[in-house]
Amino acid sequence: MIKSENCSFQYNGTDTKALKSLNITVNPGECVVLCGKSGCGKTTLTRLVNGLSPSFFYGELEGSCATFGLQVGRAAIEDYVPVVGSVFQNPKTQYFNVDTTAELAFPCENMGMPSARIKERVAECAAEFGIEYLLDRSIFRLSGGEKQRIAFAAACMLKPQLLVLDEPTSNLDYKAIAHLHDMIAKKKAEGTTIIIAEHRLAWISDIADRYCFFENGTLKGQWSADDFRKLPVETLQSMGLRPLDISPYHRQAVEKSKNRPAGDSPVIRAENLSVGYGKNSPVYYVPDFEIHKGEIVGLMGHNGVGKSTLAKTLCGLLKPVSGVIAPAKDKDRIRHSFMVMQDVNYQLFSDSVREEVLLGAANPEMCDEVLAALGLLEMSDRHPMSLSGGQKQRVAIACAMLSGKEFIVLDEPTSGLDYYHMTQVAQLLSKLKEQNTAVLVITHDEELAAGWCDRVIYLDDKEK
Amino acid sequence: MKLRLDPRAKLFLLVLSNLTLFLHVSLRTEIMLVVLLLSLYFLSGKTKSGLRMTAVYLSLVAADLFVIPIAEGFVLNFLSMLSVGIRMMLPCVISGGYAFSTTTVGEMVCAMRKLKIPEVIIIPCVTVVRFFPTIAEDYRHIRNAMALRGIATGNMALLRHPVQSLEYILIPLLMNSNNVAQDLSVASMTKGISMPGVHTSMTEIKMTKTDYLYMVLCTIPFVLFLGGVM
Repeated sequence: MIKSENCSFQYNGTDTKALKSLNITVNPGECVVLCGKSGCGKTTLTRLVNGLSPSFFYGELEGSCATFGLQVGRAAIEDYVPVVGSVFQNPKTQYFNVDTTAELAFPCENMGMPSARIKERVAECAAEFGIEYLLDRSIFRLSGGEKQRIAFAAACMLKPQLLVLDEPTSNLDYKAIAHLHDMIAKKKAEGTTIIIAEHRLAWISDIADRYCFFENGTLKGQWSADDFRKLPVETLQSMGLRPLDISPYHRQAVEKSKNRPAGDSPVIRAENLSVGYGKNSPVYYVPDFEIHKGEIVGLMGHNGVGKSTLAKTLCGLLKPVSGVIAPAKDKDRIRHSFMVMQDVNYQLFSDSVREEVLLGAANPEMCDEVLAALGLLEMSDRHPMSLSGGQKQRVAIACAMLSGKEFIVLDEPTSGLDYYHMTQVAQLLSKLKEQNTAVLVITHDEELAAGWCDRVIYLDDKEK
Repeated sequence: MKLRLDPRAKLFLLVLSNLTLFLHVSLRTEIMLVVLLLSLYFLSGKTKSGLRMTAVYLSLVAADLFVIPIAEGFVLNFLSMLSVGIRMMLPCVISGGYAFSTTTVGEMVCAMRKLKIPEVIIIPCVTVVRFFPTIAEDYRHIRNAMALRGIATGNMALLRHPVQSLEYILIPLLMNSNNVAQDLSVASMTKGISMPGVHTSMTEIKMTKTDYLYMVLCTIPFVLFLGGVM
């Protein structure tokens, strides 16, 4: 059980409190969803509950917050290990071992359990979640969803009384979310207390008992699951939250997949295209593709159906395996294309935001205008790496806008974003469209696809 | 039944093959050891890499025995460099390649724990193994991003502007590694990496008669060499 009284927390090096005099009690066996815009304090609360703050993320603590009798600030992080299991946002960076079985065994090894007991526990845990087929695999060959399933199972290895999940689904598709959902439901049925900080609210709505809404570090409201479900979509949107039911958006997105391309001079056109990385890797087949200036096209489909591979081929970063594509030369396609990667850290090279957006810019005279439009003007002298994730993404989009290129791909630009920040990204897409750019958005976000894409292309497994 | 050696035995063989380098053993001694090491590949079902290593070693020995005595000038210099420089390294490459390709990380960690190596050394070793594949992946992402920005495109550009290119590659690589390192530390701390007390291993390793036998077998050539027999 968790009890927090007048608890405040301020990270070192910041001037505002991340969490302000919080009073909250979580009962054993309860499933509580923490929601609110990015930076609202929900992640900070998860860190106070699993002992990472202030032991690892330093800062100043006031008041008290106790997790199953462990007082935050006084208990060592090691004391939390057998009591709390944690799952984090990024499936790529939360495993320590290179194979799945070793990752599951890892917490038990650290506790000093004998080998036979560990093997027993690994088998038991894998059977419980039906993930035996994932054992003894290299973690580098797993999909994001499979990684996250292993991460959840690893968090359950020591049979913790409390599970803390910090945005566990931001990089997952709907199939993978459904798997994770079932694992969480199982743990809840066993009486484990569960705390989830999450932007996507739809998938968890049947497990949640209570919703806590945070704004600027303050707990603004709490609802029982039943009451929360009754809130109209507009209220959720004004709170900056995602909808509880995404099926209407899904229907709309599917409807948009019937739209035909608008215009008669495509920027890129392809027919009978097979794309892949070459030998020993899968090849995906795309019957036809075209995109025109001033169009926002959503590219959807499950993880691993070749969305990124197709996008890289269209940008000229990969040679097509077979088929017709125009412009035919990879170099010509590279010259006309820009990609805003999911992990924008890879594409920021300069010492300041201004230098960054001017690097390779075709229209340098528009620099101030674009920076102002994206709200980056006041940080134009800062180092790009000192910015927040959302700001870095905007820098990359500014680079795209100044590059003067006519085809821009955005890879999952709204993953892990709340409603408010999602609409901000969507407005940037519209700006690119106004510039008469052809915009291709790789996304799992049906709300984005339904609201802002002119048409949607679904890649599916059958066409491989 | 395929042969599986204990990681500690493999470590011993690695040390032995390094000794061939330092002691300047005779060709006969070297061949004896290499035969023993190469048979490990075949006994453990690594036939393909075994054949490859055998071919390389045989051709170098052949060059030494049959070509060098009759060669002159440049050919002589070049072949001597090959047969002496590379061939002397080969025993290390052979035993090292065997150790790396047949040892899982779990076995390695378990062996290190049994050798009473402190956790502060074990954990960085495991982290390095974990980081290597990610660096290759990160590099590809960064090169793609550079191509789209028109920076240092083509492989020649890396040679023409090495410093600038290195900067463009290294900065995102380091920044990204920094983020990964933080995420990784957080995740492993919640899984008890810093727990006081003994850490165990799920993988069990045990020195068997085969291990000792192989260690003794491989030592024999040295004893003979040092004893002046060979």
